Amino acid sequence: MNPNAPTQAAIVIENLSKTFPVPFRREMVRAVKDLSLTVETGQVYGLLGPNGSGKSTTMKIVLGLLRPDTGRTSIFGVDSQSVESRENVGFLPENPYFYRYLTGLETLRFYGRLCRLKGSELEDRCHDLLRLVGLEYARHRRLGGYSKGMLQRIGLAQALVQKPRLLVLDEPTAGVDPAGSREIKDLILQFREKGITILLCSHLLGQVQEICDRVGILHRGKLIREGPLKSLISIEDQTELVLEEASPELLDEIRKLAAARGARILRERRPQATLEEYFLAVTKDDPKP
Amino acid sequence: MSATNVSENHPPHRIFSPGRIWAISVNTLTELVRLKVFYFLLIFAIALIGSSAFLVRMSFQEQFQVLKDISLGAMSIFSALLTMLATAMMLPKDVEDRTLYTILAKPVPRFEYLLGKLGGVLLLVAIAVIAMSLVFGIALMVRYAQVSADMQAEMAAASPEELQAALLALRAQIFDPALLPAIGLIYLKACIFASVTLFLSTLSSSWIFTVMMAVVVYLIGHMQGEARDYVMTAQEGTWWTRLLFGAIAIIFPDLQLFNLVDDIAVGAAISWGLLWKTVGLGVLYFVIYTAASYFVFAGKEY
Repeated sequence: MNPNAPTQAAIVIENLSKTFPVPFRREMVRAVKDLSLTVETGQVYGLLGPNGSGKSTTMKIVLGLLRPDTGRTSIFGVDSQSVESRENVGFLPENPYFYRYLTGLETLRFYGRLCRLKGSELEDRCHDLLRLVGLEYARHRRLGGYSKGMLQRIGLAQALVQKPRLLVLDEPTAGVDPAGSREIKDLILQFREKGITILLCSHLLGQVQEICDRVGILHRGKLIREGPLKSLISIEDQTELVLEEASPELLDEIRKLAAARGARILRERRPQATLEEYFLAVTKDDPKP
Repeated sequence: MSATNVSENHPPHRIFSPGRIWAISVNTLTELVRLKVFYFLLIFAIALIGSSAFLVRMSFQEQFQVLKDISLGAMSIFSALLTMLATAMMLPKDVEDRTLYTILAKPVPRFEYLLGKLGGVLLLVAIAVIAMSLVFGIALMVRYAQVSADMQAEMAAASPEELQAALLALRAQIFDPALLPAIGLIYLKACIFASVTLFLSTLSSSWIFTVMMAVVVYLIGHMQGEARDYVMTAQEGTWWTRLLFGAIAIIFPDLQLFNLVDDIAVGAAISWGLLWKTVGLGVLYFVIYTAASYFVFAGKEY
């Protein structure tokens, strides 16, 4: 199979099950039960679920860090238990620490060499990525002195070092301040525009809603809902209308017309900015850490 | 900020890449060096300088004998300690910090990761042994300068030929070429200890447990030879004690083999045959424990 075939699904998970033994007991915990799903190329797929629902286990199996009990997973058609499948994947774990005695630039060089980049290609790539994630100013600073948001951004850069076609992101904005979180979100949206497939695990549902095309909801190891985000959360029999400069008379007429045509107005309110938008507006001139 | 383009031309995957192993080794070495592990060399140097204070009361021969004993003994202990601590910390720290995930999520086979990590420790220990050898060499030269000056003063009445012969004899005794194989054996012993500690760290998830077990293996490794020989040859040895010591002999490395270093320090002649046999056995131990580490690590889930 050609892993670079453009029409191939990015991730295919078929009948996946995984159990873990409970230490000091003769019990097994079933982390994932008969899970099947497909992430198409170019999609941003959100894998949601409460703690212990099997998100991380699924992700680790996809990355070949865990072996499934039954079922199989593949990345661009290559069995994800094979090392070869990782040629096309970039991974950012939750709360990564990396090597704290390396600088940002050295960290990227290290991960680049693991992907067999070298010479000027490696150097150019490292500097491009540092620019991309906005850390060029801190490239010679050791990671021990990086803030949480900076670590997350260097983590994103290392995930991208070999120009992967698939990015697996586990809670990419966990512990990051709103401005940093916004930057990471913007980057993810840019990656989507460039055709990179993204598998995103997050507890931040607002963020998932903003970024993802499709979501799967895991609960106790089972996939309980799956589909395009819009079709899952839209309320089919309701319509939202936002008016600007509407006079009280016009609003009266609309109310009367709706009543005459048998429609009910459920609520009327002034739209509000989100707290995130407000926070970013008032802090946007703050210098970078 | 602008995003990156999706790659269309990945280089073909390689099952084995020395470049990846080297990258991990250099990274491990860099990490350890920046942890300031080489500060222990100061303690080594102070120990040698401090021991010199006791040497002045001895004869020339005794002085150099004690200096060699102390230096080679300290090199052996310091290299073992450094190896144990550096190796024991490697895997648990990578798991705890999740850096292991980021490395194994790249196209890096597990055996390359393990070899790279081990390579980093071996490079570190090689640098440490070379540095300690240099300190040892400097200590020998300083002492030689002092002793030869004293000798010249004492032999002021002797003929130049006699003085020259005495100085040559002194130099031959001090700068014994057999010291080089002794230093090589100390390094080989540290390599074996690194592979044993690596094996232990693949079995445990805590570096403290690994260090404790490594100390136990170190002690058993230094005692098992004598205990085994006694039980196997003594009349009163029962079948089960023979079985037990046979099993210990198979599982634990016989570090007593490397007591050759002590024989070299006292100036005993060691045959090349015995030296190569010891080196061969040491390499075999290293390969077996490294392979065992891989088999455990390959089956682990993180």
